[in-house]
Amino acid sequence: MLTYNDRLAEIRKTKIQHTWEKIENQGYMNADDYGTVPLPKDYKVEKYSNRDDGSFFGLDGMREMFCRIVDAHPIYVDPYEMLCGRWSDMITNYRTSAAWLVNYKTKNQRWDEERFPYEHLKPLQEKYNITSGIDNDAHCAADYSIGLALGFGGLLEKVRHYRTVNPHRKEFYDAEEKCLVSMIGFIKRHIEEIEKMLLVESRPEIRENLTDMLSANRAIVSDAPKTFHQACQWVAYYNCFSRIYTRDGAGFQLDSLLLPYYERDIESGILHDEKAKFLIANLLLIDPHYYQLSGVDENGNDITNHLSYLILDAADSINIACNLSVRVHDDCDPKFLEKAVECLLKNKMGWPRFCSDRSLSQGYMRTGASIETARQRIAVGCNWMCIPGREFPMNDTVKINIAKVMEVALGEMKSEEEKSSEKLFSIYEKHLRKAVEVTAEGVNLHLDHVAEVTPELIMDLMMHGTIENGLDISQCAEFYTVGVDGAGLAVVADSLGAISKFIEEEKKLTWEELYDNLDNDFATEKGERIRLMLQGAPRYCQGGTVSDAWAKRLTDSFVSAVRSQKMPDGRQLVPGWFSWSRTIEYGKTVGAMPNGRKAGAPISHGANPNPGFRRDGAVTAQANGIASVQCGYGNTAPLQLEFDPGISADEDGIKIICDLVRNHFEMGGTLININVLDTNTLMEANRDPSLHPDLVVRVTGFTAYFATLSPEFRQLVVDRFLSAE
Amino acid sequence: MANTAIISDIQRASFHDGPGIRTTVFFKGCPLNCAWCHNPECIKKQPQTMYYPEKCIGCGECDGGCYSGARVVCGKEMSTDDVLREVLLDKEHYKSNGGVTFSGGEPMLYPDFVLELAKKCRENSIGTAIETSMIYFRPDIFEYIDYIMCDIKIFNSEIHKKYVGVENGTILENIKRADALGKPILVRTPIIPGVNDTPENIRDTAEFVSHLKNAVGYELLPYHPLGEAKRKALGLESSRFDIPSKEKMKELKRYAYIQ
Repeated sequence: MLTYNDRLAEIRKTKIQHTWEKIENQGYMNADDYGTVPLPKDYKVEKYSNRDDGSFFGLDGMREMFCRIVDAHPIYVDPYEMLCGRWSDMITNYRTSAAWLVNYKTKNQRWDEERFPYEHLKPLQEKYNITSGIDNDAHCAADYSIGLALGFGGLLEKVRHYRTVNPHRKEFYDAEEKCLVSMIGFIKRHIEEIEKMLLVESRPEIRENLTDMLSANRAIVSDAPKTFHQACQWVAYYNCFSRIYTRDGAGFQLDSLLLPYYERDIESGILHDEKAKFLIANLLLIDPHYYQLSGVDENGNDITNHLSYLILDAADSINIACNLSVRVHDDCDPKFLEKAVECLLKNKMGWPRFCSDRSLSQGYMRTGASIETARQRIAVGCNWMCIPGREFPMNDTVKINIAKVMEVALGEMKSEEEKSSEKLFSIYEKHLRKAVEVTAEGVNLHLDHVAEVTPELIMDLMMHGTIENGLDISQCAEFYTVGVDGAGLAVVADSLGAISKFIEEEKKLTWEELYDNLDNDFATEKGERIRLMLQGAPRYCQGGTVSDAWAKRLTDSFVSAVRSQKMPDGRQLVPGWFSWSRTIEYGKTVGAMPNGRKAGAPISHGANPNPGFRRDGAVTAQANGIASVQCGYGNTAPLQLEFDPGISADEDGIKIICDLVRNHFEMGGTLININVLDTNTLMEANRDPSLHPDLVVRVTGFTAYFATLSPEFRQLVVDRFLSAE
Repeated sequence: MANTAIISDIQRASFHDGPGIRTTVFFKGCPLNCAWCHNPECIKKQPQTMYYPEKCIGCGECDGGCYSGARVVCGKEMSTDDVLREVLLDKEHYKSNGGVTFSGGEPMLYPDFVLELAKKCRENSIGTAIETSMIYFRPDIFEYIDYIMCDIKIFNSEIHKKYVGVENGTILENIKRADALGKPILVRTPIIPGVNDTPENIRDTAEFVSHLKNAVGYELLPYHPLGEAKRKALGLESSRFDIPSKEKMKELKRYAYIQ
């Protein structure tokens, strides 16, 4: 008899095969796996454009490109799985992509610069290495309860109804309608495929499974899902459409939203835990969306339930790249936290990660939100939180490379007669304020016009007030708390620390010598010795050092610059520290720095210390340091740990990591991404990725198959890991 | 005059030197001279320079201080307040069952220092543990120690003398005295192939441990050669042993079972 475990084993085998095919077809990915399946060689989409240069924008452009992809997209049904909704192609592939997405097919623009130019911002954006957020998409979160209640047919009816209410927004509704028709057509094509498979399938167990799949697909093609299986299937399809549209990976509170379906089916006897577990595992396999587990309800009560445990069991059973976040709070069920940590230690796959309800909620309340609202702002992204359906935060799309800002400040001070760390800091602050001002202009340009460039047609289906008013979420969100992350904290803190110690305190180096070495990238007669000396300065995260003090000052200064920036129409900027995985890209723009970092070398990772910050790489030291640089407004400065703790997933080992998680959060930490890795496995995989094709690492907020990362990226993960050894 | 000790290292986030999250303080100096020692830099009391030629950049300015990591001075004189300051950095992490561990080397080579530091830890509500050879015993110090880890490296006293340099009678006696104080004791045996990896040795040790009222366990630790690189850096001759196989460890663990 074919068991669920047999099927999972088959699915995992296929997954590994897919990973290799993808590397072969597309090259290295350096990004989230997304759960995509390889495309057949004869797959082709006729690209649409509504501009002379081949670009496509707006309701017309986005809708048409989406429908063309969905209509042409191959259908994938694996008879060992229970859910459909696998995908591969996406609109992003037809537009110029951000540099970190290695594979893109065209040079078409992502932003309509003809209509909404920002040439006047570009010089300063380049000067301060600002990632402006202009032209980015997604990075908000839909409210899945809206879609689950209505189904695709109900959403279609809603669109048609409101078109009659708001006839002046006809173009918007027409676009939504066409998208929905394509989406429904996509499900229908799956139904046809399953029917065809049933005609030739002779194995009774597989026939039974295909029949089940067929029935779930038929049930949701138009109607709202009623059973747990149907709800999972509906979510899988929606995720697939949203990915194809704008690569959106924001999930929802998985254990709460699916609970009523689970309880109803268990009560009526049509579901048992093993099947529920398999369905969840299948959902996680189809797409590593960001889901939150546990946490509190609006009134602060623990919402951990039986399904929360079952989801961890499901993830454990499939054990692939997962983006599950456990929201830890003061009354968190300790058994649940222990189980989550056990999964992390046992599987060593970088999941789950942990976020702090207290720090995040209390922080967000400082933006003026109520406690009830703050508690609804859940972990649905790489480093970020969002209130599903109500917020447009552009989170993780806007960054200022403060290492670059410091480089500008160093350049300005060079010609000054009097030099000091204080003077340097004050010049840096002046430039930082300018950088924030330019960033804000970019954010406002994006918010003012993104609806005309990249309207979020798929997410708009499940937002509050969008369909009702015929508006994009960027035009009618209740909250515009826009995240602005600083990157390069440790490089700048350690640079100031090294100046304080070696130039000002010990006088082992003069300013002239420092500038000479920075200008020559330490290729002077004594350059290497000086560089090593600077690297040996007391570092950020060692605890109580001069660089720790600088890191706190840099944080206060960053928070102040971001928060004091005036914004129109109730918008506000929210500070955080996060570099995403752009440490290599950002590093290439920055010259040599006074912490001994050579020109072009990667900058530090998020709020993390520089590699090698302590010989023992103490995770406690890192936890303390990063807790002390939290920005305090509900966005994160994640603690990103990679280590081989050499402890087992037994009672003692679990207790140590639970303590570490709780302690960091009690000190004010917001988010913990942990890679628990086995040194030998990582080293082997770095030498020969084919030895460990299923090794998953948490690169930053996202997890990825190690084998799919470029050699440069793999080395970065290894270096970070080794520095913590 | 303030108590001082030569400290070779202070390691934070220690997960293997006692329960919970700990900071381990490595004291320099040890009266024993075990050939398999994995902390050979902690045998001599005086500070020593460790040399890693592969890191040398050839700047020729050794006297002005080495920044490359080629020459590393091991051992720094510290007061109890100096050490406490470091230990307090992770105070938030000790609260469930962690704390500070005095290790080495032999911390009991600095009895007054350990007593003073242990008292200060207690004043700061920091738990204390010690990893000691049990060659020394001071009840007034152990009063301030919450958890004891010690080795019985070889149960046969003659063989013990051959490999460790002293007989083990005092060690076994001191373990019993510590047991009488009611402190939890974890006994360990490093398994060194060809030296002490016999069922008889493990069985006899386990039998001894089984009579201790406060033993919390008896652990067998497989030999690892991590001390070799440090021996080289110290200019000492290699003293490498075989690594015990997993099968051997499994077999011996059967004899380590305490009734």
